Amino acid sequence: MCVSFKFAKTAAVIFVQGIILFWTTFAHAVNLMGNEMQLHGFLTQGAVITSDNNFLGQSNKKASTDFREIGVNASMRPTSDVIVSAGLLSHTAGATDNGGLRLDYGLVDWTVSSNEEGRGGIRLGRVKNAYGLYNKTRDVAFTRPSILLPQSIYFERTRNLTVAADGVELYLDRYYEAGSLFVTFGLGHPLIGSEAVKVALVGLTPNGRFESSAMPVFQAVFEGDGGKYRLGFTTVQIDTHYNPGVGDVLQAGQLKFTPKIFSAQYNAENWSLTSEFALRPTSIQNFGKNAPDSTAHGQSYYVQGSYRLAPKWEALLRYDVMYADSEDRDGKAFAAATHRPGFTRFSKDWTAGMRYDLTPELMLRAEYHRVDGTGYLPVQDNPNPSALVQRWDMFMLLASFRY
Amino acid sequence: MKNLFGISVFALFLRTCSLYMLAVILITANSYADTQEPAMVAIAFPSTSDSVISRSSLRAIFGMRLNKWPADTPVRVFVMKDDAPEHDAFSKNILQVFPHQLRMAWDRQVFSGQGQYPEQVASIQEMLSKIASTPGAIGYIKINEVTNNVRILQIR
Repeated sequence: MCVSFKFAKTAAVIFVQGIILFWTTFAHAVNLMGNEMQLHGFLTQGAVITSDNNFLGQSNKKASTDFREIGVNASMRPTSDVIVSAGLLSHTAGATDNGGLRLDYGLVDWTVSSNEEGRGGIRLGRVKNAYGLYNKTRDVAFTRPSILLPQSIYFERTRNLTVAADGVELYLDRYYEAGSLFVTFGLGHPLIGSEAVKVALVGLTPNGRFESSAMPVFQAVFEGDGGKYRLGFTTVQIDTHYNPGVGDVLQAGQLKFTPKIFSAQYNAENWSLTSEFALRPTSIQNFGKNAPDSTAHGQSYYVQGSYRLAPKWEALLRYDVMYADSEDRDGKAFAAATHRPGFTRFSKDWTAGMRYDLTPELMLRAEYHRVDGTGYLPVQDNPNPSALVQRWDMFMLLASFRY
Repeated sequence: MKNLFGISVFALFLRTCSLYMLAVILITANSYADTQEPAMVAIAFPSTSDSVISRSSLRAIFGMRLNKWPADTPVRVFVMKDDAPEHDAFSKNILQVFPHQLRMAWDRQVFSGQGQYPEQVASIQEMLSKIASTPGAIGYIKINEVTNNVRILQIR
């Protein structure tokens, strides 16, 4: 079982590397049936070392390299109103993601109407969710502000809940003299059938699976003055129900997650200031006596500044905070009720980082995190709560290539 | 000790707030005063575009979000390398968008399957010949290098 799994993993990695080799031998664009097809991809490898606890693999006092992102994508425009595109992704993240190849997105985008003042259209298929400022390309290192996205909002732990959905997204752009307004409304099924999602939501012991009804995702972003400032609002409603496994400790309950994100960014020529604030209420119902009905008012925010020191160098400083329940910020009530450490209910992460672009295609990054609390650590990498340490440090390195 | 830490976080928060306010002040002060850069103009294939265009439409076109001219011809966007002085001057002075923001807007669309990159040319000669020979083409050039087989787009 384990051997065949390892074999499958190795085969998948070789397959993806093969595809990349094949992809890069083409130019950036090939001509297919008179239509230009653009081919792109990326290969990112990270290394993580922590003073205590594990993140993205066994990182405790040793380097973990179980942090890898490999992607390829293709797009073509059969007419000026239609884009057909697909992206494949292998994402390795410690014990939460084994790097299995999956469809990251695959869609048909039809611009129904378009003129000088704006455009409107529809995307059908698997669409990345417009969730905060960074989710649509969260696995593409070049589009991230740092090695690790602010975990208070872009959890590695619960990424599959909000990463993409199978369904439809309507979009409306308006181009005004003062700025542009981008509105999207998505309705689709989130990718939540996996073990990783189950663990993130209810822990290791229960052995069932989650299902979800169609999830609405609404986002409005205003970009003022050619994108010098961006203001955004996102709201999502996820309604899931739980199918218990055989002899499960949980009953067939419902879990409802309704996050709202407020985003703001200012871009100058050499520096950017970004902040997002999220309210993340999660309520559970009918899971039985092992998980009484409750609502946790999750709250998150970060403030992030980046400065372009020279054309190829960029420095970053960020303070990133999450509370699992804003009515129990220090986790004391949780600790009293569960005898588990209260500091697992929050994290306060100071991050300092540096980016160096060796060429436009090759980027190197280094990052240091000083963290108080273990709120964003996945339980798969840290199965024993009594081994967790409240104050910990993390050093990360990353190299990313794209074409 | 815990209190001290709390205070220093508060002080940092205040500093961040003042940074925000500074940013607001800089929005007006940080305009494009650099006059050393070459004067750029947007150019297009002569018969497929209008000769006057709004800045917001031009931004949408170079942001790869507006893919069709009013008469339904597909738009073909040509740009030079990100660090070319022409690209820098055109982005900042004509579009009034920083080149790194354009790059970010393209990357975000391409890697989520919602758009494509513009076509990159290596030289001024290539820019001129592509614009002159490709229906629907749009690009940019220094004003003193314009030839009469491309059309200058006036900004409304």
